[in-house]
Amino acid sequence: MTRNTEAVFILAGTVLASVGVAMVEFAGGGWLDANVALTFVSFALAFGSLHVSFRLWAPNANPLILPIATFLAAIGSIEVFRLDPELAALQRWWLVLAGVAGAVVVWLLRNSGVAVLRRYRYLFLAAAIVLLLLPLLPNAWPIHGATVNGSRLWVRIDLPFAVRAVSFQPGELAKVFLTIFLASYLADRSEAMSTVSRKVGPFSVPEPRHLGPVIVAAGAAFVVLVYQRDLGASMLLFGLFIGMLYAATGRGFYLGTGLVLTAAAGAAAYTMFSHVQTRISAWIDPFADYTGAGYQTAQGLFAMGSGSLTGSGLGLGRPDLIPAAATDFMFAAVAEELGLAGSVAIITAYAFLVAVGFGIALRSRDRFRKYLAAGLTILIGLQSFLIIAGIVRLLPLTGITLPFMSYGGSSLLASALIAALLGRISHEERT
Amino acid sequence: MNAPVRRIVWALLAGFLALILATTWIQAVAGPGYRDDPRNPRLSAWRVGRERGAIITDDAVVAGHSDPNPEDPQTFTRVYPTVDRYAHTVGYVSVLFGSRGLERARESDLVSHRDSTISGVLNAVLGGDPRPRGLRLTFDDELQQAAVEALDGSRGSIIALDPTTGAVLASVSTPGFDPNSLVGSDAGPAGKALEEDPGLPLLHRTIAVTYPPGSTFKVVTTAAALETGIAGPATEFPDPEALELPGTSATIHNYDDGLCGDGESVTLTEAFVRSCNTTFAALGMQVGAEALTETAEAFGFNQEIPYDLPVLVSSMPEAADFSDDPAATAQNSLGQRDVRSTPIQMALVAAAVANDGNIMIPYVVGDVFTHDGKIESETEPTLWRRAISPASAAILSDLMEQVVLSGTGRNAAVPDVRVAGKTGTAEVTGSSPHVWFIGFAPVDPEPGERQIALAIVLEDGGPAGETASGGSVAAPIAAKLFEAYLK
Repeated sequence: MTRNTEAVFILAGTVLASVGVAMVEFAGGGWLDANVALTFVSFALAFGSLHVSFRLWAPNANPLILPIATFLAAIGSIEVFRLDPELAALQRWWLVLAGVAGAVVVWLLRNSGVAVLRRYRYLFLAAAIVLLLLPLLPNAWPIHGATVNGSRLWVRIDLPFAVRAVSFQPGELAKVFLTIFLASYLADRSEAMSTVSRKVGPFSVPEPRHLGPVIVAAGAAFVVLVYQRDLGASMLLFGLFIGMLYAATGRGFYLGTGLVLTAAAGAAAYTMFSHVQTRISAWIDPFADYTGAGYQTAQGLFAMGSGSLTGSGLGLGRPDLIPAAATDFMFAAVAEELGLAGSVAIITAYAFLVAVGFGIALRSRDRFRKYLAAGLTILIGLQSFLIIAGIVRLLPLTGITLPFMSYGGSSLLASALIAALLGRISHEERT
Repeated sequence: MNAPVRRIVWALLAGFLALILATTWIQAVAGPGYRDDPRNPRLSAWRVGRERGAIITDDAVVAGHSDPNPEDPQTFTRVYPTVDRYAHTVGYVSVLFGSRGLERARESDLVSHRDSTISGVLNAVLGGDPRPRGLRLTFDDELQQAAVEALDGSRGSIIALDPTTGAVLASVSTPGFDPNSLVGSDAGPAGKALEEDPGLPLLHRTIAVTYPPGSTFKVVTTAAALETGIAGPATEFPDPEALELPGTSATIHNYDDGLCGDGESVTLTEAFVRSCNTTFAALGMQVGAEALTETAEAFGFNQEIPYDLPVLVSSMPEAADFSDDPAATAQNSLGQRDVRSTPIQMALVAAAVANDGNIMIPYVVGDVFTHDGKIESETEPTLWRRAISPASAAILSDLMEQVVLSGTGRNAAVPDVRVAGKTGTAEVTGSSPHVWFIGFAPVDPEPGERQIALAIVLEDGGPAGETASGGSVAAPIAAKLFEAYLK
């Protein structure tokens, strides 16, 4: 029964994506063409694969994950199509690839369950660190890093036979691997970490040996990301570590330390990096340096203000005037064309997804599954929160993608893996 | 072990709530501020880049159309092939200078309705045509060209309309400007130059400027006398060399400082044909402030003229403001002192005389047509007001015809056409007079024959400067236009 409901919702999301693309074509003066059909097919393939994999190998999975993901992906891909039909053609491929990859993960875990991931935790840690280091490879190598917009977080593979270089953002995948490692590590140690402690003055401090690997992992990731000048991913990973530590131990010490460390790291970054300083000043007043540092934020505000309550209508706004509208500023682009109605719907959908994810974590009887579900949910929740908060000026702007919605294969792949893992975890709790 | 997870849930959900509040603030509260911020590139880019419908004249000359941009066929460039000929009425849409004229006033017709709003989609599903509408103007391109040529670069304006329908046949304001030069985002210097030009080329002189109407206002004064029964065409007046104004040492002289008639007495008809100030000042004082203002308002003074574009209100002082001041009454009845009129208002005065005293609502958008060229809505000629009785109109028509036959308006005569008119030479302190001609032709047209009423103003005497008079400068232009329109 639940699976049928899920199928109906996925179909609805697929139709939504196709109709949206049709509306955009119509608004642009065109008529229906292959894009509408291809959108339908790509959504049916991507979310159909995930749905079928749930049916076969995770029949008791929570039926709300995929519908919400389909909805978000539908709005996102409509907007990507609206901004650049060529980008949307690539995005369709990424979507199918991500959906199939998610289904493959569910298939891989069909017999042994997510518990099998625990065994490979150091492999995941190593893979995550390698992935995070990849963009630092020198430009001359066939696989090399690339600096985009001042941040070095892309990897390009120059294939001799390919028309264009294949690029990806390994950090997207690395954060999922790191979550798996952390969940596994904390599942083994959380009891010890939350009970055994020393008193240092008034504070009860955990044994250093319990904390060591976690701090090493966090530190390594953090250093790499600071080196790559990616503020958003740094904040995201930092929040993930602190959140998971707190979820596993329930001790305010980690939260307090985390806040102190964030503040210290923030202050350090502010004094050390000029690009952090410009980010902060653009956050406080984007119009002070309108043509420079504040330009993107200001364009986002113009877009959202122009969208007003009901938006300009799909294809009728000018989100193309916002820099990076298809990726980091996806939210502002949607807010312009769908208005406050659309932006509240999207924030609510993320909140809903976060609630579903934490619901899975809360119901989990097994520590590893609980921490993994919580960690993956923190990833999705924090990532969407950070980028939207940056656009609406609640926080300084951080250049990260909006899960499921932004253009980008790496981002979509990571989001689909998270959906697949959450589905599988929820299945295991109900069987 | 779930308690910390629960706290994280609440923290994140609180975060999302904060996002909703911040988004609501930006989009719903601060939204209009961002939307209307002059730095928002959307405003002008959106307006200028959309496809807009064509604007054509009645004889199908294209005055404005949209060309798709070769590199991006979803955006369009507005082109005005007639350059400055219709610049003021058609207006423009510009990235930097906003929009004006019909481009602004009829924006909702001219832009595409193709959008993804619920009404837009419903409209499309139900088979409605979302493509932009075009406007067919009532302009006669040949007449318009003749008017542009006749003004020949002088500062001034001409407006001509069909008195029986109110359809505007020509409307020229000079100096003009090239709207094409204002469209693009590179139009800054061109626009600034136009804004700073002392000749005020952007000013729409036919509807947005008022002048003292001078002797053309004697039509209104005469109408007041006829309507109140104070005088008729044969009523005799004394014929002094100068009229002393009671209560002041000032006197009223005729245009040539001479007598109006034989120095004994003069009829109203003679005084009207020769445009005698002495007679009309006396007549105005007899008629009185009440009737003068009442009649002027019956013609449309002190009221907004309903038109496709906003019209500056022509002003006649309140009766109470000059009823106990015979000198002011005398000067006002000559169209001087406090009386101010737009050219379109005086054209409507002439049209009322031509049309049995009735003024039709003036209009320039004849019909709105769809992308396929089908007429979607047509402007029905509508009566605006009954200015004077048909009997008074007939008398005035006769008086005005005699002005052209044997009076100050002889230069407006056209062979084989019964032309009626009234000249005006409005004195302006410190500069040459504004010269006027209002009139219509033919008088009493045969059924089916077309008729035209017009007003012509040249600022500061036009090419003739301080020696200019309405009869010498404006009337010959009227003759050319009557000829151009009536063949």
